[in-house]
Amino acid sequence: MAVAETTSVLLVAAQARDIVGPDWVVTDGAQLRVYECDGLTNHRTVPGAVILPGTTEQVAAVVRLCHEHHVPFVARGAGSGLSGGALPTEDGIVIGLSRLREVLDVDAANQRVRVQPGVTNLRVSEVAAPFGLYYAPDPSSQQVCTIGGNLAENSGGAHCLKYGFTVNHVLTASVVLSNGTIVELGSEAPDAPGLDLLGVVIGSEGTVGIVTEALLNLLPKPEHVETLVAMFPSIETAGDAVSAIIAEGVVPAAVEMMDRLAIDAAKTQTPITWDTEAALIVELDGPAREVRQQFEAVNAICKRCGADAIQVAASPDERQTIWRARKSAFAAVGQLSPAYLVQDGVIPRTRLPEVLSGIRALADEAGLRVANVFHAGDGNLHPLVLYDNAVEGEQAKAEAIAMRIVELCVDFGGSITGEHGIGIEKVCSMPKMFTGDDLTAFDRVRSAFDPVGLCNPGKLLPTPRLCGEVPGFYHAHPVETAGLGERM
Amino acid sequence: MAELAGILGADRLSDEHGTPVLTPRDAAEVSTLLEAASKTGLALVVRGGGTKTSWRPTPTRCDAILSTAALAGIVDRQPGDMTLVAQAGTPLAALQAAVTGDTTHRQRLMLDGVGGAASTLGGILATRAAGPRRQRYGTPRDIVIGARYVTGDGLAAKTGGTVVKNVAGYDLAKLLIGSQGSLAVITEVSLKLNPVPDVARTVVLQTTDAAAVAAFVAAVRTAAITATVFDVRWPEGIVAIRIESTPDGAAAQIELLQGFAQLEELSPEAGDALLEEHLAFPFTGAGAVLGIGVRPEHLATLLAAVAAAGGLFVGRATLVAGDIVLPDLDPERIGRVVQAVRDLGGNVQARRGDETHGLAAHTAAPGVAMVEAAIKQQLDPAGVLV
Repeated sequence: MAVAETTSVLLVAAQARDIVGPDWVVTDGAQLRVYECDGLTNHRTVPGAVILPGTTEQVAAVVRLCHEHHVPFVARGAGSGLSGGALPTEDGIVIGLSRLREVLDVDAANQRVRVQPGVTNLRVSEVAAPFGLYYAPDPSSQQVCTIGGNLAENSGGAHCLKYGFTVNHVLTASVVLSNGTIVELGSEAPDAPGLDLLGVVIGSEGTVGIVTEALLNLLPKPEHVETLVAMFPSIETAGDAVSAIIAEGVVPAAVEMMDRLAIDAAKTQTPITWDTEAALIVELDGPAREVRQQFEAVNAICKRCGADAIQVAASPDERQTIWRARKSAFAAVGQLSPAYLVQDGVIPRTRLPEVLSGIRALADEAGLRVANVFHAGDGNLHPLVLYDNAVEGEQAKAEAIAMRIVELCVDFGGSITGEHGIGIEKVCSMPKMFTGDDLTAFDRVRSAFDPVGLCNPGKLLPTPRLCGEVPGFYHAHPVETAGLGERM
Repeated sequence: MAELAGILGADRLSDEHGTPVLTPRDAAEVSTLLEAASKTGLALVVRGGGTKTSWRPTPTRCDAILSTAALAGIVDRQPGDMTLVAQAGTPLAALQAAVTGDTTHRQRLMLDGVGGAASTLGGILATRAAGPRRQRYGTPRDIVIGARYVTGDGLAAKTGGTVVKNVAGYDLAKLLIGSQGSLAVITEVSLKLNPVPDVARTVVLQTTDAAAVAAFVAAVRTAAITATVFDVRWPEGIVAIRIESTPDGAAAQIELLQGFAQLEELSPEAGDALLEEHLAFPFTGAGAVLGIGVRPEHLATLLAAVAAAGGLFVGRATLVAGDIVLPDLDPERIGRVVQAVRDLGGNVQARRGDETHGLAAHTAAPGVAMVEAAIKQQLDPAGVLV
């Protein structure tokens, strides 16, 4: 780190003590290490300082300091993100939002709740429950992940097949821009005039500002829910069943699939007895008689497509067990392997069999195991690449396979990420999916929000330093933008 | 202008009451055209079907109209994935016919055809038009999964993709939807499709008591009802609910609704006709039209204000969003309605009449205006798209 940069970070940290109070500024080396990574643990950088504001105004004041001293910053919620979106830079600060964790208002009459960004996803549904309401987005990490992070990543979850993503459920947000200005985006009433800036901020991975408050839309809890697990002899037959269910005109609340390896992992955490190559979880919700009628149809389709056995959840407890098995699968894979990488890619659902054989071929070629857990309804794959970090070179091999898997998704007309985001992990894969002109347009919009480039730099869009030059993608250096120099 | 016509060829240039109309054949031509216009400082107005030109004020400058009429046709349709990609100039009616006409797959495109048969995909996005079925399926921002566009200075780019779940890069489709063609020309759109339900049944409540309407709506909104349409017409005093489901599911929901109030069921034909009428409503009469939105709790107050101003309202009862049609262009009347909606913390957008646009003009907060201006500067630096 250059001396000037160290001085700037320390200057910001020192001045921030007057804003947030001395207890909420971290500069001690050991304490800083807590913030060196998020859920993507194979990338680590110790930040220059961590500042923990307690109000929107304090966030804005800290950002203004950063702006004044030209210090980059990254916002951090629970740090559960899986693409390194909250990875710090050593010449920058982390703005932790963990102190902003109040539910400010539950407005049952208008079906909405106002929260600070550090409130966990699950807590929103908990405070809404007494009114018969709930918050639809339900990422697997919902017990720990926060609303601020959910907005940054446009989080989905198992039920987004029917109910959409975070962006479909946020009415307004207070956002601190990169120069410290506080703006209110969105509207409490429908059809606001002007540009949909909120739609850009949600899913921007902390690169255009920091969300310090959000008004979320709540839904009435469905009258009736039915859940089944169908055991299929192969992933392919289970995939056929998914297509048949969709063709029947049923829109399930969730359709999830787990392969044998993922099931074996889940068994270490939950009392399930599934013994099959592919388990298909289908959940329907809505008005009772509609659900019952469609559930019968789904049941029949599963049998017709070759399910060996079908287990129907007979009670809320049994439903919970099924979902615990599904949601614990990621972490449970840790029981089968010393280390693993979680991947996230999307394909058109109908290409599932081809892509899965492609993944198998890649895994075999590398001599690694890959477990598959996915949101089958919307083609969002989560291959888990298992490896042994004690074996020299195996991590690099696993990372290479993981990247080739998402690039395979692009070859089949899909996306390199369905819900985990680009972060730092996939910046260099962006040119696989987007042309230089596509990236230039993204960069222009980013510059409109953050002309100086202080807001979570190095994330989402490829940089020459990380990825080499991207053909056609011209990224003006701040020195050029400021008119202080030209590219030779 | 001669230069622009030269780029496309004389057959792509026509005249409309003295204003040249340029009709590029593809995105590449749009790109060349905009790049050239940027350099020569021309002002272009983008036009799809031209059904909602009154939704924005008459442009103060317009050197030529850029028509998307030739950017038409389905690019790709994947029934198994329930997705559709089409060029932006494709009329919505043609798309809907192509999708629902495929009886094997029984799917439909749930963008509402506000504006009639000539409305194009690009125009519906640019104006963020939505109709009664947003109750269940949302607005264009909930249905669009990707777009190709050309920025004001000719950069041809894409955002999103053709899969229903995707968080790679910024979702610039959100930015283009509702931007009135001021940032870029949308050239292609990817959309989600939905299954056609087994049955559709419509029931109506008739009452001219605004408080009774509000109470009924509040009770039903948290009930086990998945309505496709939940509209109110005022001061006629009609609340219409369209249920689309399985036969059993629809029967159960209608029964449940009957428990809240005395409702009359319409014949399927009358139910469909009512839906069409509500789609056409913002285009009726000759007076001012205002698109409005208020918080759900303000429904009764809104209805009272509409009646007091001598207007008609058709809108979504629980959201609350819809249109107010006034009998004339009287500034005092328009001003009164605008004020009433704003007093409720609501939103107003003019749909007809330059006077209406003036009276309902929206001023963004300084911080927001700064970002909006910066985005305009980044995507259309020469100010070609007016």
